[in-house]
Amino acid sequence: MKLRAAAACALGLALLAGCSGGRKPYPSQAPENLSVRPSLSGVRAALHIHGVDAQCRTEYLGTLELDRPAVALGIPADRLSYLVFDFSGSSWLRGSHRMTQETLLRPRAGHLYEIAATYRENIYQVVVRELPLQDFSSCRPR
Amino acid sequence: MKKQACSIAALVAVSLAGCAVKQPQTAEEFRQAVAAGAMMTKTESYEVSRPFRAVAETFRKRAPECLRVSVRTVSQTGTSYQNILTEYTPTVVAGGERAELYVQQLHKTGVLYPSKPPEGGIYLFVADATPQGNRTRIQIYGPSRGYDVLHRAVRGWASGENLGCPDMTKIG
Repeated sequence: MKLRAAAACALGLALLAGCSGGRKPYPSQAPENLSVRPSLSGVRAALHIHGVDAQCRTEYLGTLELDRPAVALGIPADRLSYLVFDFSGSSWLRGSHRMTQETLLRPRAGHLYEIAATYRENIYQVVVRELPLQDFSSCRPR
Repeated sequence: MKKQACSIAALVAVSLAGCAVKQPQTAEEFRQAVAAGAMMTKTESYEVSRPFRAVAETFRKRAPECLRVSVRTVSQTGTSYQNILTEYTPTVVAGGERAELYVQQLHKTGVLYPSKPPEGGIYLFVADATPQGNRTRIQIYGPSRGYDVLHRAVRGWASGENLGCPDMTKIG
């Protein structure tokens, strides 16, 4: 329930940030452990990043525009982050619209995460894939 | 855009309700009304080459993730202002021989209903999945226009080819 409230609050903040122009760029941190690959048709997309504390309180940290084929960023490992993918568009006939997809993510140290954010023909999807880093010693000659 | 969606939904509701008959209060009543040819509705059926259990599981997972949404629509012209908050509520009932997905729509503000809608809102869309050997038959009951994205999304879930969510701001 707390999480839901936090999520609703974060979403509200995200929307507020989007509507009011109160967005700020996300100050990505090293190492870059997250790669977002947007595949969009007819919409713009942005990623709002929130930190989440032990009481499930959220803090808006910043926004990344997903306007390149791949966007890399770093979020804290072993801590919860709340990611809000924001798909928006507008047209003269249909007006403006916004749809969001949210997810909590606790990245593990030493792992990379690849996120595919897709919006095509009014159907959207966000898929998170974990890619473990492999030490060179795991290489075996064939 | 949403005015159009609301108009279609209202037309469906009114046509299902008829002049003196109450709106469908259950998914079964909704099926019967659509099958009887209620205005602005259609039925559709198709098979997917995927086992019934997998389809039922996809419905159970994706429906709450994708369809439990609220959409606020604000439109303004020189003479009118509309602010409509619409809630969509999905329900999945899955048994051994049938999985049912219902979507209900409730306008929380900005729309007056001619009669009290059922708990959770008017029935908007029903998809029934039944096993056909290793395949699954899908039977759809829903609006004939304006909800193509919902039809396509459910078809994608059933076939397993696209698990994406429909943008519910685009219906209508």
